[in-house]
Amino acid sequence: MASNAAVPFWRAAGMTYITYSNICANLVRNCLKEPYKTEALTREKVHFAVSKWVDSKPQKSSMIRIFLDLGFLRCAIRSDTEEE
Amino acid sequence: MAMASLRREGRRFAAPLISSQPITAIRSSLIAEEQAPLGIRSISTQVVRNRMKSVKNIQKITKAMKMVAASKLRAIQTRAENSRGLWQPFTALLGDAPSVDAKKNVIVTISSDKGLCGGINSTSVKISKAIHKLTAGPEKETKYVILGEKAKAQLIRDSKKDIELSITELQKNPLNYTQVSVLADDILKNVEYDALRIIFNKFHSVVSFLPTMSTVLSPEVVEREAESGGKLGDLDSYEIEGGETKGEILQNLAEFQFSCVLFNAVLENACSEQGARMSAMDSSSRNAGEMLDRLTLTYNRTRQASITTELIEIISGASALEG
Repeated sequence: MASNAAVPFWRAAGMTYITYSNICANLVRNCLKEPYKTEALTREKVHFAVSKWVDSKPQKSSMIRIFLDLGFLRCAIRSDTEEE
Repeated sequence: MAMASLRREGRRFAAPLISSQPITAIRSSLIAEEQAPLGIRSISTQVVRNRMKSVKNIQKITKAMKMVAASKLRAIQTRAENSRGLWQPFTALLGDAPSVDAKKNVIVTISSDKGLCGGINSTSVKISKAIHKLTAGPEKETKYVILGEKAKAQLIRDSKKDIELSITELQKNPLNYTQVSVLADDILKNVEYDALRIIFNKFHSVVSFLPTMSTVLSPEVVEREAESGGKLGDLDSYEIEGGETKGEILQNLAEFQFSCVLFNAVLENACSEQGARMSAMDSSSRNAGEMLDRLTLTYNRTRQASITTELIEIISGASALEG
């Protein structure tokens, strides 16, 4: 158990509660048996195109999040390094 | 039989005679044959027939689009209604405070990527602009986060400098919570806010979608409002387990609340989009049907007029030979 004063480990690592709960949900989905597992993993597909606007202009950056299911943890770490 | 072949030949001969004034003849035959000057035969009915064929095709297409929208609506409606249970506990706990005074407002406008869905995107944008005006003031700033192409196209015209993020291609895969929560995470990371105002079309029934605004406050604002009492002031009476402080819990709750509210809003807007598209396509097939009726009447009148003209000519020619 974390000490009373410190923030939880995931907050200290830079994750929000949303990311934390998504990773936990992913772990739970991976514990299912087939065929429910494949059904549940289809509910994890993420796709959208986001563009940040600076000075009234959209950035042409390739910030397209296209991570599908299991790679969530890997991608969460990857996007943090991309932002630099 | 003979009449029909004669008529067909008459039409072929008529074509070069009227080629000198095709446009006026077409217009006159479409509007009213009586207005055409004597001596000019009516234009062939080919033009009207072509128009009827294209209108009929359009009617078929819009009918098919209506059925597609109806089936998509059925699929997504149950999910939207089930997702309402996600944010209701938050409203029970934290209350809904649309009139809260916040320095940094972020307006999240939800719209569709595809068109032909009636007026829902325009109403969303209208309300977003109104709220922008409402929350503007000294030392306050209001920014937009836009989901969907249609709102982006409308807001680019006059609010370009206030746009913070724009997100498209949301509905490529069926909507799920993971996608929306990742999106919410992106918004939270990239945008500073005191209050998030989410504007979407809430789905009440197939014919009624009302634009709605949901407010999510940042934890600091919640603390500030808690001091002034009301629902938020009762938060202190709750016991907190697990060794976390109230501030941490509020922050977790605020993030999760935003994610849930956004998920529900996106689903409801998708439902409203399909419902609006259904009614738009329905009225357009009805209009196409009416247009087809009017064109059929014109076609029959033109056809009968040309038959009568042929008959008159033949009979007068015959009587000229006799007399």
